[in-house]
Amino acid sequence: MLTKTQTVDGAAIKKAIEGRDGKMLSSFYSDDAVVRVIDRNNPPSKPREIRGRAAISTFWDDICSRAMIHKVDTTIAEGDSLAFTQACAYPDGTKVFCAAMLELKNGRIARQTVVQAWDE
Amino acid sequence: MRPIETRYARSGDVRIAYQVIGQGSFDLVFVPGFISNLDLQWEDEGYSRLLKRLSTFSRLILFDKRGTGLSDRVDSRHLPSLETRMDDVRAVMDAAGSGRAALLGASEGAPMAMLFAATYPERTRALVLYGGYAHFHKWVMPPERLEAFIETVETSWGTGATLPNFAPGRVDDLYFAQWWGRFERLSASPTAAASLARMNAGIDVRGILSTIAAPTLLIHRRNDTRVDPEASRFLARKIHDARLVEIPGRDHPIWTGDVDRVADLIEEFLTGQPAVADTERVLAALLVTRIYDTAKLGDRMWSERSQRFQETWRLLVGRHGGRVAGTQGELMMSRFDGPARAIRCAAALRDAAQQIGVASAQGVHVGEIEMRGAPAGLTARVAMQLATNAGRGDILASRLVAELAIGSGLHFADAGRISLDELGEPLPVVQATSEQHLEPACRPKPKAMEPAALTARESEVVSLIADGMSNAAIAAELKLSEHTVKRHVANILLKLDLPSRAAAAAFSARHAGPDGP
Repeated sequence: MLTKTQTVDGAAIKKAIEGRDGKMLSSFYSDDAVVRVIDRNNPPSKPREIRGRAAISTFWDDICSRAMIHKVDTTIAEGDSLAFTQACAYPDGTKVFCAAMLELKNGRIARQTVVQAWDE
Repeated sequence: MRPIETRYARSGDVRIAYQVIGQGSFDLVFVPGFISNLDLQWEDEGYSRLLKRLSTFSRLILFDKRGTGLSDRVDSRHLPSLETRMDDVRAVMDAAGSGRAALLGASEGAPMAMLFAATYPERTRALVLYGGYAHFHKWVMPPERLEAFIETVETSWGTGATLPNFAPGRVDDLYFAQWWGRFERLSASPTAAASLARMNAGIDVRGILSTIAAPTLLIHRRNDTRVDPEASRFLARKIHDARLVEIPGRDHPIWTGDVDRVADLIEEFLTGQPAVADTERVLAALLVTRIYDTAKLGDRMWSERSQRFQETWRLLVGRHGGRVAGTQGELMMSRFDGPARAIRCAAALRDAAQQIGVASAQGVHVGEIEMRGAPAGLTARVAMQLATNAGRGDILASRLVAELAIGSGLHFADAGRISLDELGEPLPVVQATSEQHLEPACRPKPKAMEPAALTARESEVVSLIADGMSNAAIAAELKLSEHTVKRHVANILLKLDLPSRAAAAAFSARHAGPDGP
């Protein structure tokens, strides 16, 4: 259930991602959060940056609108840092694998870096 | 990267071919215009550039409409309605796992995309309409012009005859004109193309425009030869909050002309961020090739030989690791990563020109050029002027080219300085000379060609060529297909190492015996 007080931890993230709940995921971020995405088209020297909760909401709405299966496998938490891996599959069999590192501030995600690789 | 996989979505009983490329966080469905072919489009430089650009910021979903390209053929005389074809978009999105996507509708694809946006607002993230229209007869062509167009389709489909209707700016580009012929043949059968044209003529989606709620960007080339720009101005007035951008150009297909400009606009609109410019300038060696002294050849011979030389030029540039960068009048420009490759290609072109029966004159210069579009800056202009100054068979290069090619084994002779319009000081230039060999240069003695090398049928054909008969006439005389006669003529020229039909006729005359050659 979406509440402002939902604690951001591995279990909550796993539930929201696997349930493709974009609204819930967006609520985990602080207003000025930054998500950096590194992949084939966005190399480390020029990662894609999504700034602010509005843009991050659109990002998650887009991802969650896809009929994909997501599986969050590993979550590690240590203080204000959180990490997880995510295996995804499209209906046509295309697979995507992501590793994400998160920094929390006041219980919300302030900074996230996602590294992803796609079947192509 | 692995080759792009083509998959098939099921839409009712029909299979729709589609491809997915890119890793963006949102989906972009490209709804093509009149005809398309998923495999063939990657072979065209402009087409593949556009698709690659779009796939850098989206997960791009491409498909061929039913009855076209790689999708199932349908009864050509009873093509499905716009609504059914629109539903193919939904079927492809379902198969690709796309719940919501931005739609890019180009030309005839625009009304389809608009209908989708009005029917499935929850699945439409945004709409981009390029060269689109809501009513065919009002903005594409009136009924009488449509009949003439369909007549062209009925009689000459597959020859590239429709090219002037779409991209008049590319008609003189022989390579592209041939590609367009293939594009026609591999995208639809003649009957399907004519039916499709008739069906598109019935398009009228004016009634649904006010129901479109998705953010919409309209792009139209100001002098679009196929669809009146007024069509997009009408859409801009009728679709709530739509933004229209008119750009220069007259060629209609979205993948021709300045595709980067189109991609920039789409990227900025869909991502909210301006496109990051490519690495803007790169160092390159430019080779400009022209046929020397064109006036001495008659118009017809010039046209034949120039066409052959241009084909050879494309082939040799590719073989030497270069890229064809376009033609400007009689000048052919190609681009190489290093000067030695450019010079070696120039030498090969000089030899090829001789074999074809023309002489070349070429210029090579090295410098920075803009990555995007055809080279047009100072480096290009200097290379063009060098080619203009070069004499018969010469390869004239700036001295800088020779200095960079040290160690390549190429030889250059000083050729003084040339004053060029834009350079303050005369440019030191060199001539590329033939490579020096220790052993004396000797050409293998040409093998004397004997009539015996020809088969009986080929001898018959060569006699008829000597009588001045055309391929069609020879085909009728020998009761063969014209295609078979063409093959025979090609084999004869190859076996006898002759450049033209005229030479074959002369050969026949020289060797005529009681039973012919």
